[in-house]
Amino acid sequence: MIRAALIGNPNVGKTEIFNRLTGLSQNVGNFPGVTVEKKAGRLVHREQEIEVVDLPGTYSLTAHAVDELVARDYIVLERPDVIVDIVDGTNLERNLYLTMLLLEMDANLVVDLNRWDMVAARGTKIDVEKLSELLGCPVVPTVAITGKGLEDLKNSIVDIAGKKAARGRRAAQNYGNDLEQLISKVEEIIKEIPELTSKYPERWLAIKMLEGDESVMEQARASLSSSQLAKILCIIEAGEAAIK
Amino acid sequence: MSEYAENLRSAFAQRRYERIASIVDSTVIKGRGEIFTLTDMLDQVFLNKHLGIPIFLTVLWTMFQFAFAVSEPFVVIIEKIFEMLGAWSGQAISDPHLASFVSLGIFGGLGSVLVFIPPIFGLFLALSVLEDSGYMARAAFVMDRFMYRLGLHGRSFIPLMIGFGCNVPAIMATRSMDSEKDRMITMLINPLISCSARLPVYVLIAGALFGAAYAGTAIFAVYALGIVLAVATALIFRRTLFRGEPSPFVLELPPYAVPDASSSILHMWSRGRMFLKKAGTIIFGMTIIVWFLSTHPWEETSGGQVIAESYIAWIGHAIEPVFQPFGWDWMAAVALLFGLVAKEVVVGTYGVLLGAEEAGLGEALVSQELFTPLTGFAFMAFVLIYVPCVATIGAIAKETNSWRWPAFALVYQTALAFIVSGVIIAAGRLVGLS
Repeated sequence: MIRAALIGNPNVGKTEIFNRLTGLSQNVGNFPGVTVEKKAGRLVHREQEIEVVDLPGTYSLTAHAVDELVARDYIVLERPDVIVDIVDGTNLERNLYLTMLLLEMDANLVVDLNRWDMVAARGTKIDVEKLSELLGCPVVPTVAITGKGLEDLKNSIVDIAGKKAARGRRAAQNYGNDLEQLISKVEEIIKEIPELTSKYPERWLAIKMLEGDESVMEQARASLSSSQLAKILCIIEAGEAAIK
Repeated sequence: MSEYAENLRSAFAQRRYERIASIVDSTVIKGRGEIFTLTDMLDQVFLNKHLGIPIFLTVLWTMFQFAFAVSEPFVVIIEKIFEMLGAWSGQAISDPHLASFVSLGIFGGLGSVLVFIPPIFGLFLALSVLEDSGYMARAAFVMDRFMYRLGLHGRSFIPLMIGFGCNVPAIMATRSMDSEKDRMITMLINPLISCSARLPVYVLIAGALFGAAYAGTAIFAVYALGIVLAVATALIFRRTLFRGEPSPFVLELPPYAVPDASSSILHMWSRGRMFLKKAGTIIFGMTIIVWFLSTHPWEETSGGQVIAESYIAWIGHAIEPVFQPFGWDWMAAVALLFGLVAKEVVVGTYGVLLGAEEAGLGEALVSQELFTPLTGFAFMAFVLIYVPCVATIGAIAKETNSWRWPAFALVYQTALAFIVSGVIIAAGRLVGLS
C-alpha cells in the first residue's frame, strides 16, 4: 500500500483534490495527542492501493501553531511514501514557500499545480518541465473543480512512490555560501548522533537548529551531549553575528 | 532561544524567497497583467463599504429561511410517522412494559428529537454552501471592522458562524486564530451562539405558544438574543480577563466558486452525521433513562399511566422550587436537568412525559397550560444560555487543555441564564404580561 499525504496553503483547492481522489471512502479521526482533525481516505490506482491523508492547510511549518506542527511531525516522523504539495498555479511566489520547506525535509514530493484553468485564463504561461527540473520533483497541472489532470496526478503518485527522493534536487535549495557552510558545520555534528539521524533528515535538523526552532532545539537538548550542544550554539552565535 | 537566532531565521526566509523568485523568473511568463475576473467583480459588490453588511444580513436571513422553511413539510411528515408508530405500538405490543417502552421511550422520546433532522441538515447544508462558495471569508472580512470595535477579532467570525450549526466544530475552528487571547474569548462566547441542538426546543415552545404567525419571530428573537449576549460578554471579557487590542487581521480571500454539489453534501453529511450519532447514543440513552424514571415504580404509576407517582415527578418536585419564580413547573425542571447532557433531550423529555397524549407535543403543552407566552419565551432564553452541552464543555477543555476554563464557562453561563430569564420575566410582568 502506498501512503500519500496532501499538503498545501489554505484555499488552494486541497479539499476538492482530496474528495476527487478518495470519493466517499473517507474517515475522520484525530492526529495523535491533539485535536486537529485527520481525514484519511483510500483509492486504488493501477492495481495499487493508495491511502491518502489530508494534512492541515498551512503557509509554513513552524513550531508555533498546532496545525503546522502536526503537519510537519506527520511528514518527518510518519514518513509517508509520497507528499502531494498542492500549489495555486496563479500564485506561485507565495505557494512555493511551503514547497521549499518540504524539499528541506527530504520529502518524496509531487507538486500539484492546481487552478491550471485560471493560469490559462490569465494568459500566464508556466514551463512545467523546467519547473519540475528546478524543483527536482514531478509537477502535475490540475483543475480540481473539474477533475482535469487527476489521472496524471494518480499516475505520478504511483510512479514516485517506489523511488527515493531525487538527490539532484539539492540544487533547488542552494541558500548561498555563507548559510550552506553553517548548515554543513551543524550537519557534521548531528551526523554523529544516530538517535537524531535515524528519525530526521540531517539537513532539515541543521536548518531548524540554525533558525532556533523550539521543538527541534528541545529534541537536541535531550539527545546531544553538552559539548556537542555547546559547539552548535557556538556555530549559531557566530552565524548570527556574521549575518546582519 | 528563538529571539537569539533572529538574524539567521530571517536570512533563511529571505534566501528561500530568493530561490523562489529565481525559479519563478525562469519558468513563468506572466499574462498581460491581471484580468478583471468574476471574483473581482463580485467582490466590488460584496465587499462594498455600504452594501457589504446589508448583503451579509440578507444572506444570513436567507440561510435561516432556507433551513427552516424548506424543511417544514418534511418535519410534519416525520412527526406524523412517529405519532402513528407510537400509537400503533402502544396497542399492538401486548407486553405492557415493552409497549410503554417502545411507544413512549422510543417513538415519543427519541422520535421527538429525530423530527428535527430536516432543519438541522438544512442548516448544515446552508453553512457548507456559504463556506464552499467563498462567501464566508467575505462575510468575515466585511464584519471585521464591526467585530474589531467589539474587541473581537475578524477571524472570530467564522467560528461564530459555524456555531449556528454546532459549537463543537466551531470551538475547534478557533485553532486558526494565532492570538491566544482572541482565541480564548471566541471559545468562551461561542456557546451563546445558538446551535442547531437548541432549535428543537425553540420550535416546540414557540410553535405551541406563539402560533404559526409569530413563532418565526420568537425564534429569531432568541437567536438575536444569543448574538447580543455573545457580543456583550466578549466586550466584558476583553475589558477584564483578556485585556488588550485584537491582533491585526489578515485574511486571504479565495476566489468564488460554484459549490460542487457532491462536496457540499459530503460536508453537510460529515457534520450532520454527528447529530445522528448523538441521537443514536447520548439522546437515546437519556430518553431511556427518562422513560424508566417516568414509568417506575411500575405499580404506583399503574404501568406508567400516572406520571405524578413516578421517580421523575419526585425528582422534578425536588428541584422545582429553583425554577418556580420563573413560572415553570416540575416537568420543565427535569427537562432542563436532563438537557444538561444535550439540549435536544429537553424536547425528548417532554416527548416521554407528554407522549401519552394522542395529539402532538405542542398541543399537549398548550392544553396542559404548562407555559404562558412570557414564561415560554423565558424558558427558550434559558435553554439558549444555560450550561453548554457536555460535548461543548469537553471541546473547551480539550482546546484550552485545562479544566479551569470549561468550569468557568459552565458557571458564568448558568448564572447568566438565571439573570436573563429573570429579567425577561420581571420586565414582562411589569408591562402586565403573566
